[in-house]
Amino acid sequence: MPNEPIVEVQGVTKRFAGHTAVHGLSLNIPRGAIYGLLGPNGAGKTTTIRMIMSIILPDEGRIALFGGRGSGKDLSHRIGYLPEERGLYKKMRVLDLLVFLAEIKGVPRSQARANAVDWLGRLGLADWAAKKADDLSKGMQQKVQFIGTVLHKPALLILDEPFAGLDPVNAQVMKDVVVDLARAGSTVLFSTHIMEQAEKLCDSVCIIARGEKVVDGPLAEIKRRHGGSHLVVAVERGGPAVQRVFEDRSLVAKADDYGNYAELELASGANPQRLLRELVHAEAAVTRFEIAEPTLHKIFIDLVGPEAAAPHAVEERVHA
Amino acid sequence: MHKIWVVIRREFVERVRTKWFIIGTVLGPVLMFGVIALPILMAEKGARVRNVVVLDATTAGFGERLSGMLGQSGSVAATRLSVGGADLERTADSLAGQVGRGLDGFLLVSDAVVDDGRAEYRGSNVTSPADMRILQVTLRGAVFSERLRREGVEPGIVSRAQIPVDLATVNIRHGKVTGESGQASFFLAYVMWFLLYMAILLYGVQVMGSVVEEKTSRVVEVLVSSLKPFHLLAGKVIGVGAVGLLQMGIWVGFGKLALDRRAELAGLLGHGSDATAALASMPFPEVPLATVVIFLSYFLLGFFLYAAMFAAVAAMVNSESEARQAQTPVVMLLVIPTVLMIGILNNPDGGMSLALSLIPFTSPIAMPVRWAAAGVPGVQVLGSIVILAVTVLAITWVAARVYRVGILMYGKKPGIRELARWVRG
Repeated sequence: MPNEPIVEVQGVTKRFAGHTAVHGLSLNIPRGAIYGLLGPNGAGKTTTIRMIMSIILPDEGRIALFGGRGSGKDLSHRIGYLPEERGLYKKMRVLDLLVFLAEIKGVPRSQARANAVDWLGRLGLADWAAKKADDLSKGMQQKVQFIGTVLHKPALLILDEPFAGLDPVNAQVMKDVVVDLARAGSTVLFSTHIMEQAEKLCDSVCIIARGEKVVDGPLAEIKRRHGGSHLVVAVERGGPAVQRVFEDRSLVAKADDYGNYAELELASGANPQRLLRELVHAEAAVTRFEIAEPTLHKIFIDLVGPEAAAPHAVEERVHA
Repeated sequence: MHKIWVVIRREFVERVRTKWFIIGTVLGPVLMFGVIALPILMAEKGARVRNVVVLDATTAGFGERLSGMLGQSGSVAATRLSVGGADLERTADSLAGQVGRGLDGFLLVSDAVVDDGRAEYRGSNVTSPADMRILQVTLRGAVFSERLRREGVEPGIVSRAQIPVDLATVNIRHGKVTGESGQASFFLAYVMWFLLYMAILLYGVQVMGSVVEEKTSRVVEVLVSSLKPFHLLAGKVIGVGAVGLLQMGIWVGFGKLALDRRAELAGLLGHGSDATAALASMPFPEVPLATVVIFLSYFLLGFFLYAAMFAAVAAMVNSESEARQAQTPVVMLLVIPTVLMIGILNNPDGGMSLALSLIPFTSPIAMPVRWAAAGVPGVQVLGSIVILAVTVLAITWVAARVYRVGILMYGKKPGIRELARWVRG
C-alpha cells in the first residue's frame, strides 16, 4: 500500500520523575514525506523521537513503523538516526568510523567502505578520510555523523535538529542532501524549533508544545485550515454589484475597501472560490486575487499563545 | 551475531593499533624482567666485599681465628684491632666516625662471646640480611669450634662436625614427585599472581574506559539505535579480552624464548660474573599444560567477572574522573588476594587459602597461585570454576541491566535504590 504511514504514533505518553514529557501524542508520517516535528525547546520532540527509535519505551500508547512490523531497534537497518546529541569516536579514523557505523546496520564491509568513500567525496571530505575524527572541525564532524546516518540507504531518516550548530553554507549543503534523499524516495522525519526552516522544507508537520500536539497534517492543509481567511483583491471598474458582494456578510466578515484595491477578511466557513465566482458574476475585472498565507509561526502563536511558544523547560535526558 | 563480531573487531583493532599497545607489549616483559631479575642482580652485584673491623678484646686468640674465618668467607675483609677490655667502648666510639668512609662496620668481641654467646655488630649495613647472615654464621661456627676446643675435642673432629647441610626441596602434587624445587614453585606462583592481577586490572579498567568514552562522547546514542545494549557490552568485553590474550600470548612467547636461551642472554649481560651465573642457574620451573589451562581459564573468567563490574560502574558515571572514584570498591575486591598472597603461599592447603580459592571474587587469583604453590585436589578446582562461572553469569546479567539503563542516563549518580530499580526494570 503506497499510502500507508511509515511511522504511526498512537496516544503515546511518557512520564519522567516529576513531569510528563509527552502526553497522548498521535501522528502519522506518510511514505515519502519530509515531515517536520516542530515545537519550542522542551516541547517533547527529542523524547518523541527517542520513543520512535525505541531507545526509550512509552508508558502508554503504541508506535508502529513500516506498517507495524517490529520495533525501531529491529528495523534499525532501515532507519537512519541522527541524534540531537552528536558524538563520534574521537580517536578513530573517519573512514573506519563510517564503515563501523554502517556495519552495525548490517551493511557488508566492502559495500560500507565504497558508500563511505562516495559520501565523503560528495560532502567535500574526501581528504579527511584517513584523519582522526578529533582532528576535524565541529561542522565537519557533523557532516561525518550525517554520513553515518545515511550510509546504509535507510528508507526512513530521523534527524533530530539536523541543522543546529551548522554555519549557513553547511546548513544549505545539508538541506540539499535531505531534499535529494527525499526525492530519491526516503521518508524524512526531522525536528526543529525554527518554524521558518520547516515551512520551506516540509510537506507535513506536527507542532507540539508542552508534550501535546497542537496541530498536524499536510502543511498546505494546515495553512488553509488556520488562516487563509485573509484576502487581497484588486478590481478594475468596481461598481455597485461589487460593493454588494463585499457587503455580503455570509462571505466577507470585514472589508477594507480602497476603491480598486481591497483587503478582505473572509466570513468563517466561507469559501474564497465562491467569493471569486460572485465577483466575476458581478462583472468585476479581477486583476489580483490572493489568499494571503499566514506563516507557520503565526499559526503556532495563534494556537498556543505567545507564552507557550517560548521555551519553558530543558528537555529531560534521563530515562528509566 | 554478526553485529557482536563487528563490535569485537572495532574494539580489538582500535586497541591494537594504539601506540600504548605497542609500548605496553614491549615494556611489559622488560618490566617483568625488572621486577623478577633485578633484585637478584642487585643482590649479587651489591655483594661487594665489606670492610669490617674486628674489635678484639678476647684473651685466648679467639679474635684472630674469627678474623681469619671471616676473611675466608670471601665477602668480608676483616681487620683485627686488639684492644684491652677497658678501652673497648672508647675505641668503638672513635671507630664509629669511620663508618661510611671506607668502613662498613665493626664487630665487638670479648671473652663473653664464647662464655655466654654475646657479641655486637655496629655498622651501616645492618639492614642487609645477606651481610648479617654471613656474620652470624661465621661467628656461630667460630664460637662452636672454640667451645669444643676448650672441652678438649680433637680439631679434626671439630672441622668434620662443621660440614654444612644442604636441604633440597622437591614439590609433591597429587602424590607425585614433580622434579620442581620449592623455590621454583614459589617463583611460578609469584609470576602467576603478578600476571593475573595486572592483566585483570588493566584490561578491566580498559573496558571501563571504553564505556565511559562512548558515554561522554555521546556515541552511545547512535550505537543503541543499531545494537542491543547487551550485544554492545558483550562485544566490548570480548574484544578487550582478546587484546589481553594477544598481549599475554606475546609476553609468554617471548618469556619462553628468553628462558630457553637464558644462558646466552646472561652471557650478553656480562661474561661469567657471579650475577649472570646466578641468573642463568635460576630455578625456572617447567610449566605443565594443566597449569597453563588453569591459568588461562581463571584469567578469562576473572576478566569477564571484573570487566562486567567495571562496565556497570562506568555506565553509572558521567566522566573519566567520576569513574576513577567509583571503581574503588571493584579494585578493592581484586586487591584482597594480593594482600593475602603470603598467607596463601605459607599454607596453600589451609582454611584461608581454600576459602579464597572458592570465593568467586578472589578465586581468579587465589586458585592459580595455590595451584602453582602446591597441588590442589581436582574437586576443589572444579568447584571453584563452577562457582566462578555461575557468578560470572549472574554478575553479567546484573551488570548488563545496569549498563542498559546507565549508558543513556546523564546527571546524578544513582543511589542503591535507583540501581535496584534499573536491575529490576
